[in-house]
Amino acid sequence: MEPDYTKLKKRPAYPFETVAVAIAFSPRLEAILMETKRMVNMFGSQLVIIHVGKKDTHHEEVLDKLMNKIGFAKIKYRVIWMEGEPIDTILKLCKLNVVDLLILGALEKENLYKYYVGSIARTISRRAKCSVLLLTNPSINPKKMRKIVVNGVDNQKTIHTLKTTHYLAKNEKIADFTVVQEVNTPMLSMTIAESGTEPEVSKIKKEMQEEDFSRLNVLINSIDKQGVNIELKIVKGKPGYAISNFARQNHYDLIVFNSPDTHLGIFDRIFTHDIEYVLADMPCNLLIVHSRV
Amino acid sequence: MNVISHHELVVLLIGMASMLILSRIASELARSVKFPVVMGEIIIGIILGPTILGNFAPEVSAYMFPVSGNATIALNGITMVAVIMMLFVAGMEVQLPVVLKQGKAAVLTSSLSMIIPFVLGFVTAWYYPQWFGRTEEYKLLFALFFGTALSISALPVIARILIDMGLFKTKIGMIIIASAMFNDLLGWLIFSFILSSMDTTNTGNEFTFTIIYIIGFGLFMLTIGRKILDKIMPWMQQKLSWPGGVLSISLGICFLSAAFTESIGIHAILGAFIAGIAIGDSVHLKEKAREIIYQFVTNIFAPLFFVSIGLKVNFIENFNGSLVLLVLVVAYIGKVSGASLGARLGGFTRKESLAVGFGMNARGAMEIILGTLALQAGLINEPVFVALVIMALLTSLTSGPMMRLFLDQSYFNNTKQIENN
Repeated sequence: MEPDYTKLKKRPAYPFETVAVAIAFSPRLEAILMETKRMVNMFGSQLVIIHVGKKDTHHEEVLDKLMNKIGFAKIKYRVIWMEGEPIDTILKLCKLNVVDLLILGALEKENLYKYYVGSIARTISRRAKCSVLLLTNPSINPKKMRKIVVNGVDNQKTIHTLKTTHYLAKNEKIADFTVVQEVNTPMLSMTIAESGTEPEVSKIKKEMQEEDFSRLNVLINSIDKQGVNIELKIVKGKPGYAISNFARQNHYDLIVFNSPDTHLGIFDRIFTHDIEYVLADMPCNLLIVHSRV
Repeated sequence: MNVISHHELVVLLIGMASMLILSRIASELARSVKFPVVMGEIIIGIILGPTILGNFAPEVSAYMFPVSGNATIALNGITMVAVIMMLFVAGMEVQLPVVLKQGKAAVLTSSLSMIIPFVLGFVTAWYYPQWFGRTEEYKLLFALFFGTALSISALPVIARILIDMGLFKTKIGMIIIASAMFNDLLGWLIFSFILSSMDTTNTGNEFTFTIIYIIGFGLFMLTIGRKILDKIMPWMQQKLSWPGGVLSISLGICFLSAAFTESIGIHAILGAFIAGIAIGDSVHLKEKAREIIYQFVTNIFAPLFFVSIGLKVNFIENFNGSLVLLVLVVAYIGKVSGASLGARLGGFTRKESLAVGFGMNARGAMEIILGTLALQAGLINEPVFVALVIMALLTSLTSGPMMRLFLDQSYFNNTKQIENN
């Protein structure tokens, strides 16, 4: 029978009522589960643990021991074991369980082959129909995120991403977060080189910057801030790369993006753009907000 | 060694000085009335060349711009380098990620705005070569060229129109820009193939090799070459003097790439164009360095090239009214209908689609470069060249007003309202 996905339609990106974590029995398992526990406690969510692979006594025992050690006994959780192709299985289970946030461990940088062909975590993050949190350096002693930066791209999804980040910041009890507007106008340089005077050039650039600023200000002002301050920054450079570089240089803990508008394929990795720059070399943890509204 | 004489050097310098100064004055006048800058440069060429000065003061014309000798060879060399550098700069503007990002609407608009004018141009030139003063020789290549000439777009002209209309960063603006970039990329690839095929010694095997070389070179430079350049760019900007280091290495790579394609039988312009794409795509290339390259090429080499066009062709003698009309009709119908249809299928309204169609119709400087190279290669005659130049200028002139006609004030108000909401 075809599953009922109607619950997913128009479901807001937050609150994170159901959090899922996809696990492999890797050396980072404990750290990922510790980070997940922190998130689940913080958001008051239900937890679904997904493992794609055969259910056997050995792995069950390992997981049980770990869950007891971490102290998951106090949290309501379910473990789903399912065999199949990892990416499709995880995506399907997320839909079936109406997952709001999927947590995955990810390497900061994949090797070339894996990057172009697509690692599991990165492929899921490109295709998921729920928000995805990629943790680059999960720790067995997780710390709260202190510095968050959001991509303020001109897109109708951005307002949902901003609101979701605000929800996250409020739960993390962070006083502020940053919204970055990337400015990239190479075509402008050529046009101006051909037919523009210095004052005219400055005027055009200023107008475009002001336009971006006022658009983002409208979005930011529409959010009920509840004590969380939102700072606006303009960063020059190619979309995706500029914010990634900004996050790395300023030691941010989390970078937040809208979910991709289109299905991203290998061409998007060869001719890198937007979120693909972040996925190519992650400067910090990455949250991809999927607004289903 | 053949050395340029004292007199020839004086002549060359006077010629170049007059080309630069007069074209600057004309360009400023053109700019003040919102005409394309290239128009001013072409007009100065027409005034200084055989059309006006050569007709009314032949001695002055012969002194300033002799038809033979070392000064002429030097000027021709400079204008050839200018073409290579202009193609390099044009390549720097082609950002394939922009095309990918725009999705279905850009794919449809760029494909149809290329296919329909190409087919229309090809069919016209194939069935009626006599209208273009051609015989059966190079019939296929001429038809391919004419199709390509009609499918190309002028990015800088289009971008300027979009900036002036406040549409540069809107959805419609990005679709036009992305489609024009894609047209340019394909157009120059096809044109390079045509020029390479002009070599009469080419056999069937060499023909196949030419295609393999073009595809192979393009793929290499746009994938591995692009990544390598992106990796070395930060080193260049940090370790070498700035911006001098970036400028000299970037232009050096442009010339090397151009030399490579020329040496394997593909025209130098393709090497320059592809090198431009590879370097321009680097996330590490600073905006300032990009601007300096543009300023350098656009304000020194481009005027020399565009003025030199008028020095070589008599625009009055080679003006053929019916041919100009034919080229204009085919160019307008092909491009406007193709781009509009693509935009319509891509989800734009009827009025928006027509605006996209007329926006993409601007051919500008790119068409003139294409025509000049075809004329030099003997692919077209002078009347066809004159018709192409007129078409390039008229399409550039009419793009803005026609877009305004379809995107009236109510459109701008609606757009602002949607954006604000």
